[in-house]
Amino acid sequence: MPNGASSSWPAVWAILRKECRSEWRTRYGLNAALLFAVTSLTAVTFAAGPLPDRTDILAALLWVTLLFAALSSMSHAFVRETEGRTMTLLRLVASPTQIALGKLLFNILFLGVVLAVTVPLFLLLTAAPPVRWGPFALVLVLGSLALAASSTLVGAVIAQSRSRGALFAGISLPLLLPVLAAGVSGTRAQWDGLPVGPDARLLGAYAVALFGASLLLYDHLWED
Amino acid sequence: MSGSAVAVAVSASGLTHRYGQRATGVERLEFSFEGPGVVAVTGVNGSGKSTLLRIIAGLLRASTGDVQLRVDGRDVSRAQRRTRVGLATPELAFYEEFTGAENLEFSAETRGLKAPRDAAAKALSRVGLAARGKDLVAAYSSGMKQRLRLAFALLHEPPLLLLDEPGSHLDDEGRATVREVVRANGERGLVLLATNDPQEVQLAERSLELVARGLGDPA
Repeated sequence: MPNGASSSWPAVWAILRKECRSEWRTRYGLNAALLFAVTSLTAVTFAAGPLPDRTDILAALLWVTLLFAALSSMSHAFVRETEGRTMTLLRLVASPTQIALGKLLFNILFLGVVLAVTVPLFLLLTAAPPVRWGPFALVLVLGSLALAASSTLVGAVIAQSRSRGALFAGISLPLLLPVLAAGVSGTRAQWDGLPVGPDARLLGAYAVALFGASLLLYDHLWED
Repeated sequence: MSGSAVAVAVSASGLTHRYGQRATGVERLEFSFEGPGVVAVTGVNGSGKSTLLRIIAGLLRASTGDVQLRVDGRDVSRAQRRTRVGLATPELAFYEEFTGAENLEFSAETRGLKAPRDAAAKALSRVGLAARGKDLVAAYSSGMKQRLRLAFALLHEPPLLLLDEPGSHLDDEGRATVREVVRANGERGLVLLATNDPQEVQLAERSLELVARGLGDPA
């Protein structure tokens, strides 16, 4: 177990609560994420109309909307600490692993809220065919975990860099493409009556692998 | 200040830190200080005073050499230093959407203190900020933020207190508070005071002068 990860849950919990309280007061990320989700879904359905028989396009639209709504905030969780110069405070009270775990849990919670708003809106506006709720929820949950793990890792890596923009794109692309591909494939499969097991397993394994790699990495980040 | 004196010692051997190719005053530094007491760390701008405090606090890794911290006869690893060291530095900022008390309560909770609210109230009181603890940090003046930095460093009653230019932005009352904090913590543990203020230097009975390089000196 990396440094600080063994008896660190009170610190992780405190950081999670701090993130929630900060988001509640500033609405920094949630407003941006929901604005993106609502406007992009509205614009696409207004332009293309209902798409009940195009499960390929529907699945891609859902995941692209979720991805960008999530990225508009989640990957900036660490950058906000750097730009607000509060990273020093955090590092003086918690280990990098504790900080990253707190932010990961917040990102998962954040994605849950984005999903709760975006998915019903998506189903309503696109007149999507009825979903098989079990497989649909499974793919969404596992995909969200993978998305949260990857965006937290990317956020942590780019936080201290001066070339954040370039790094963000460079690191995000290879990390997020598998999530997006498996998410789209699984979502489409549940509409087409196909098994979602292979995609769900891939998403689950990817989330676990990213989480494990992150735990090993976090204690070595942010050392000038 | 509660509690009896704590045996604390900090030492360094061959300590060097470079930002890229640029050398600072932290170059082949050797020192050893034991508490109780106050040590003034002096040197011209850019000589590496803040860098040295960041290395001791565990925020920076030295390029070569290392710092050893011993508390009550036990080595404190770099990863655990934040539990035994209090640092107040100008680069320390707080969450502006939170009150001063909320910032300290969050810090106390994260540090695992048993009564975070009480610890925050006590620290605010020590620096004369109790009456403004419920104000948002966004509404704080520079001097109030400096007092909050001091309160943050005192929150967990660390045996080693690192103060970087603690009197900056403070009025006379604030400077008196700094003197009182330095005196009390110097009796209980060890205080390293990075400053060029003659009045603050007088608070120390020992000093460490960083002489290697200042502003404008090439690497």
